[in-house]
Amino acid sequence: MKRFEISTRARPLVESVVTILIGLLAGALLMMPFGYDPIEAYQALFKGAFGSVPDVLETVAFATPLMLTATTFAIGVKTGLFNIGAEGQMYLGAIGATAVAGLIPLPVGLHVAAATAFAMLLAALWALPPALLKIWRGVHEVISTIMFNWIATHLSMYIAIYYLAQPGRAERTVPALPSARYPILTEEATLTAVIFVVLAFCIGIYIYLWGTKAGYELRLVGENPEAARYAGVSSRRAVLLSFIIGGLAAGLAGASQIIGRPPAWSLYATLGNVTTLGFDGIGVALIGRNHPIGGIFAAILYGALQHGGRYMEYHAGVSSELVRAINGLIVVSLAVPEIGAIIRRRLKR
Amino acid sequence: MESKPFIEMKSIEKVYPDGTVALRGVDFDVGKGEIVGLLGENGAGKTTLMKILSGLLPPTGGEIYADAKRVNFRNPSDALCVGIGMVHQFFALVPPYSAVENILLGQEAAGPFAFLDMEAAKKRLAELAEETGLEIPLETPIELLPVGVQQRVEILKVLYRGTDLLILDEPTSSLTPLEVGELFRILRRLKETGKAIVFITHKLKEVLEISDRIVVLRNGLVTGRLPTEEATPEKLAVMMVGKEVVPRVTREEKAPGEPVLAVKNLQVMSDFGTLAVKGLSFEVRAGEIFGVAGVEGNGQSELVQALTGLRPPKSGEIELNGADVVRFGPRELYKTGVCHIPEDKARFGLALNLDVAENSILGRQWEPGFLLRMGRLDWGKIVEFAEKLMVTFNVIAPSVRTTVKSLSGGNQQRLVVGRELSKQPALVVAAHPTRGLDISSTVYIQGLLIEMRDEGKGVFLVSADLDEIMRLSDRIAVMYEGEFLGVGKAEELSREEIGLMMGGIRPKGGSQ
Repeated sequence: MKRFEISTRARPLVESVVTILIGLLAGALLMMPFGYDPIEAYQALFKGAFGSVPDVLETVAFATPLMLTATTFAIGVKTGLFNIGAEGQMYLGAIGATAVAGLIPLPVGLHVAAATAFAMLLAALWALPPALLKIWRGVHEVISTIMFNWIATHLSMYIAIYYLAQPGRAERTVPALPSARYPILTEEATLTAVIFVVLAFCIGIYIYLWGTKAGYELRLVGENPEAARYAGVSSRRAVLLSFIIGGLAAGLAGASQIIGRPPAWSLYATLGNVTTLGFDGIGVALIGRNHPIGGIFAAILYGALQHGGRYMEYHAGVSSELVRAINGLIVVSLAVPEIGAIIRRRLKR
Repeated sequence: MESKPFIEMKSIEKVYPDGTVALRGVDFDVGKGEIVGLLGENGAGKTTLMKILSGLLPPTGGEIYADAKRVNFRNPSDALCVGIGMVHQFFALVPPYSAVENILLGQEAAGPFAFLDMEAAKKRLAELAEETGLEIPLETPIELLPVGVQQRVEILKVLYRGTDLLILDEPTSSLTPLEVGELFRILRRLKETGKAIVFITHKLKEVLEISDRIVVLRNGLVTGRLPTEEATPEKLAVMMVGKEVVPRVTREEKAPGEPVLAVKNLQVMSDFGTLAVKGLSFEVRAGEIFGVAGVEGNGQSELVQALTGLRPPKSGEIELNGADVVRFGPRELYKTGVCHIPEDKARFGLALNLDVAENSILGRQWEPGFLLRMGRLDWGKIVEFAEKLMVTFNVIAPSVRTTVKSLSGGNQQRLVVGRELSKQPALVVAAHPTRGLDISSTVYIQGLLIEMRDEGKGVFLVSADLDEIMRLSDRIAVMYEGEFLGVGKAEELSREEIGLMMGGIRPKGGSQ
């Protein structure tokens, strides 16, 4: 009995390690027909991602926003939702951060806080309509969040170009004023102090979910809505909370790329420096087993693939398209166990 | 009818994979041109027997003959090939599709690119409808049709496949009396055209009205087999529920106290928009077990949900210790002293993927005793409480951190019962508290309910297990189609009388 218990606890970890190996193997098989040496390529990938302190920091810089967008998705799953609205909410966060950081001069310290808070608030507001549609009219969150992602895309571009553009440089918005920037940790990497805020946020979500009454009720709604009702829990309230917290996380992710990521310190008019961070978060959440702490490690792994992947290109000569295909393969195989779990849960209902 | 019967089943046995014995050697036959009523209470094995005959379930033992030839069904299509079709209690129709589309579904002639010959199908259906009297609007989406008409579509669907034996499982359970009359007219006509019909039911009046012969099942055995003209409701009731006297559990002798729960003219709707509880009035007193007997689906679930705040009643009053609680949710009801052992622990009572500790506070998670400042859970106290619960109520699990999913059914139920009874309630609402449990868990949980009663709490017990009701209750009510057909002291109600009421017949001169 005792052994059984330990093995169930360790199972996710074992599964993750096995799937990483399978993913790497699949990537290797993809490289071989094109004449690349997988061992050399993976060495380059690993060295690129973790070979030196600045490389590790750069990997973490790539991981930072993903920790948050993964949290958005994960807290949705914990409430029984498939909230894929992080992308759009994150854009609104980026817009909010840009506006406060670039246009409103405030004292040092306060400025960073205000820009961050406004970004999170705006993103949470953007999460509200899908939440209310779900609660009032039963609109499925997949449909509504996809629609809101598109609205956010064009709205954000519009605002960026017409209201926030830097005079004379149409391709991007006004940069954040120095007082609104998170301090850079080292000149050799783009990681800033925003990482501490992000880590605190993720750990806070973990404590919230497993250590508070409200978090317990939220998980109860996700595990068994009927039992939640029986326990006197309002699933509407839980759904609303889940969306709002997810929005706050996505908003912080958006802010982290504007006021916490050199060298641009601004939003590109194409949204190029933030696009896909929200969607990537879904994959990261799945790899991290929809757990806020698992998401941190999964994001670092993902960041390593992104940052180290560049080294695969110039040290092992693997063409960049193939690098992305290999990364995709690894991510897909990593996500398989959790996707399986979600499907099993859906089928059971 | 003069020759061999159309279908013969011999010594059919069925043991479910979980060990439940459903049938213990049942012989059954039905001939063309007759209606056989298959009577029994919950769990008697009626539906299992007919699912075997229609190829949905493989028998564990026994033989089936069609036209005196041995047959072996691997699936429902095999059964359809020899002309056996079943209409289930819950319909399998696609709501937005029309009747024709529903009937054709699953028998499209050929591959993915073949065209459906709608016109030919419609013509054949119209002929069939004329012949049988099953007239239905062919083009209207199913969801717009009343339940009685939907059922006709189901019957037509089975007949369209060339069925000679039509099996109907509790076909009148969701019909209005008018629709029942209509159904019976159709069944008689089908009989005249030479169809064989098996009519599964627990309703005595209906089986007496429509059948030619009656077979009664109880506990997986045939307890009666007689032509309908020789049957009386009393005879059938005894066959259906037996006449053994169940020894009542010993309890403290004492007069019941003040009413804990008072219900007046309670009306509750079902999920299907019909009235499930039709104006009930009753009281549960302190120190008594008030048992509700009856075949499931007669409104018991809705009644329990209304009493426990899960389903707002349509009208009526519910008073708890004199306070009006009719609009209360589960949490307010708990605060006023109600605990609820739900009918389906996995659906309502537990979150299977959470652990024992987390489940031990389900419904009590807001209590200050389990909380620290700022809404944080006091895991130390929760684990301590869960451990105490496990010891007090004999819940066997490796630790309080084990997920509830890996516990046995008996231990899961002990956890639910323990959690609820530890709430210090004034009223215990228990729905099928021992269903599916092994004997030791059953005896244990029944003992706990008696203990509650002896401590002076009111216990409202709903169970489809008549033995359980008779063993535990101080007073018994029999629920039939949303009403109590009779309420009486347990010692004064005979098993036969209860059986009659479960079948929908008020005993002559019965207590009320």
